[in-house]
Amino acid sequence: MKTNINIIETIAALASEAESNWLVEQKTLTGKALALSFVKVPRFISKINIESGEFSGWTLDQLVRVDIVTQLDEANVTALFETAEMQEAVALTRSLPYLPNPSSFLLRATDAVRSNMGPVFDAIAFGNTYPKDYFNEAAWNQLVLKCIFNDKAIHQIIGLDERANQALADTLSDFAHERWSAGRRVPSQVWRLVPRFINESLRSDIEKLALSKNPRDVVAASLVKQEVQNPGSTHGLWQELEEPEPIYIV
Amino acid sequence: MCQEHKPIGNPSHFEGTEQEKSTAHAVDGTFAQYTQGMKFFDPHVHMTSRTTDDYQALADAGVVALIEPAFWLGQPRTGLSSFKDYFASLVGWERFRSSQFGIKHYCTIGLNSREANHEALAEQVMEILPLFLQKEGVVGVGEIGFDDQTAAEEKYYRAQLELAKEMNLPVQVHTPHRDKKKGTERSMAIALEHGIAPNMVIIDHNNEETVKSVLDQGFYAAFTIYPFTKMGNERMVEIVKQYGPERIMVNSAADWGISDPLAIPKTAALMKIKEVPDEHIRLVTYQNALDAFAQSGQIQESDFINGLEIDQTQKFNGNTILRGGQAPRINKDSLIIR
Repeated sequence: MKTNINIIETIAALASEAESNWLVEQKTLTGKALALSFVKVPRFISKINIESGEFSGWTLDQLVRVDIVTQLDEANVTALFETAEMQEAVALTRSLPYLPNPSSFLLRATDAVRSNMGPVFDAIAFGNTYPKDYFNEAAWNQLVLKCIFNDKAIHQIIGLDERANQALADTLSDFAHERWSAGRRVPSQVWRLVPRFINESLRSDIEKLALSKNPRDVVAASLVKQEVQNPGSTHGLWQELEEPEPIYIV
Repeated sequence: MCQEHKPIGNPSHFEGTEQEKSTAHAVDGTFAQYTQGMKFFDPHVHMTSRTTDDYQALADAGVVALIEPAFWLGQPRTGLSSFKDYFASLVGWERFRSSQFGIKHYCTIGLNSREANHEALAEQVMEILPLFLQKEGVVGVGEIGFDDQTAAEEKYYRAQLELAKEMNLPVQVHTPHRDKKKGTERSMAIALEHGIAPNMVIIDHNNEETVKSVLDQGFYAAFTIYPFTKMGNERMVEIVKQYGPERIMVNSAADWGISDPLAIPKTAALMKIKEVPDEHIRLVTYQNALDAFAQSGQIQESDFINGLEIDQTQKFNGNTILRGGQAPRINKDSLIIR
């Protein structure tokens, strides 16, 4: 479980007096009443955008919701998951690492990966430590592959390089073949997942990539080769390929 | 719950000139030329039952926001979970689906009159309603009211009026198909008896027989343009000409039946042809609905009038497909599917 001390401090720094008072009052509640406070948050807490720091990209109401969820018992957290609208689902998903017993919510986390609502998927995939800490290899690979399949930028996944694995690299190769057959491409940065797991099949993919007309593929191929020869030497260099790419142009 | 499918023709209420009538028929299929620049708000449409083609057509026709009332799905529900998942889909998946077409999706939540007759289940549904009524973007209690006008329907109509009062939410009232006039009067009397201000109540599915009393008592009067069983849009134009635009709104109530999600833009085009003033058209196809349901505190016109604002999460990721109104479009006329 992750400490929520930074959440509380960030709220204190951003909330108005009226907002803070409301929150203090709500936190005296428990059970169903406190769950209803979670639902009512947007009526009392503004959606100030947090510009920097650990919660960059979050809004104040989301932080307050996470703060409230961490005080709730498991049954009420489950009830909120089951009835959540999209903004609530985003806040609940972001709260997962901070819950008292995170591993008991694994199914909620993998459900968020299954979600077709972009913001809900993004809440588990990006800037969230839960997958890195609690997903098994199959669940982790599913998360990364779904990102790639939906052309979302994978560098936003926490633990991406650390949890790279052979099965993921092999599946990525198969996926690239499908895309190439269809006259499409995969974003060039995804090849960062393969250097530690290079084999014959992947080697031929990289050779093919090196001959691509797309300069970003060429850069990716040379980074993979460099990393294979000299592990650790490409750290930071993938950054130039992290921009979103149009996928239908080979 | 919104219609009985008896394909009978509309009564002959068409009072316009021969010239207007022939123009109206001549523009079939090209009505959009009469609604250029107009924006529409459909306060009653069941998108759950519609396709992405409909969403695309709505967006193209100028519908910028809509309200999806909770209703009877055609198939009776047998357990609380079905209700819970349905309500959750109205604030979740359907809202998201709509946003992909740049249309702001609101909803009203309630126990519909037909299923109110299943009392054991109705009791359980009443328990979970407050949780949903407090959610963002829930702009009222609805659609509730009478169908068969049974004792159970009255019981849950009253209970939900109390919820609306407690939460200060507008009420969207479905009026019955059979014995409509009496059912409408009874719905209004009960709302007043519960101390609900008439301007917080939208009486839906009006016709020529009910409209005067609804307006006279200070309620909002909604008209559903729905083929065969409710209003036709020619009749609608005459009502606007006769009563003026105040507290009148038009909706499609498009659902799983033979209905038309473009009912509002088509009615606006017909009003334009029949020389209803532009401002009156704007009021009955956009502004009045917005004003009525904005009393919930859950509607900000700025959220949709210039296209949907890009969600922070989406901006943060930069490359999702979800930018408001910028979902990939398919060319419906193209033979090639890529």
